[in-house]
Amino acid sequence: MPQSPQASAEEVRVWDRPLVMLPTFALIAAVGGLFDSFTLTANLLVLSIGGTLFWLGLSGRITRRPAPRRLGPGAAWWLVPVLLLTLTELYSFAHASRPEYPTISLLADPVLEHYLPRAAAYFGWLTGFWALVRR
Amino acid sequence: MRTAILTIFALGGLALVVVALLSRRENTGPDDGARIPSLGELAAFVMSYEVGRVPIGRVAVLGFWWWLGWHFLAR
Repeated sequence: MPQSPQASAEEVRVWDRPLVMLPTFALIAAVGGLFDSFTLTANLLVLSIGGTLFWLGLSGRITRRPAPRRLGPGAAWWLVPVLLLTLTELYSFAHASRPEYPTISLLADPVLEHYLPRAAAYFGWLTGFWALVRR
Repeated sequence: MRTAILTIFALGGLALVVVALLSRRENTGPDDGARIPSLGELAAFVMSYEVGRVPIGRVAVLGFWWWLGWHFLAR
């Protein structure tokens, strides 16, 4: 039977804090940055870490911050960047993602070939994932 | 065409930063509906969507983030 986030808060308090999680993510990112795309190790790392965080996000073992019951009309401002990026991405993707029609991933690939940007991307992905899990 | 697409991506990124900064303004009251919610609040609202007892919103947002990491870092 799944535990409620409130009921399990005491159990996870020791490790569910930035002082523990951020160095852990930094360590994973430092290792993950070493693995190139299309390798078994990169796939295993992303699938295992992502799978763990996905499971934690659904299991209710993490204390969650309360969600707003409704959003005001100000939330519509988020549609501006979301639609700009999504529609352009889809337009480029529909043109088979050729160099003259670049997608975000096509633009990111040359940057992510280098260790530091790749490790930073890992760190950003992990901290973003953790922020979502706690929501 | 490449320049146009790069410009729109840059504008989209800039808009993302501007809206995120505007969302950090102090709330002026409980009925301040015009306030822009933070990205976290927006995500939490979407994630709270359920169909019956199935947390569709939560599965969708967490699954999208998982796929994003796999797409950029592993595939």
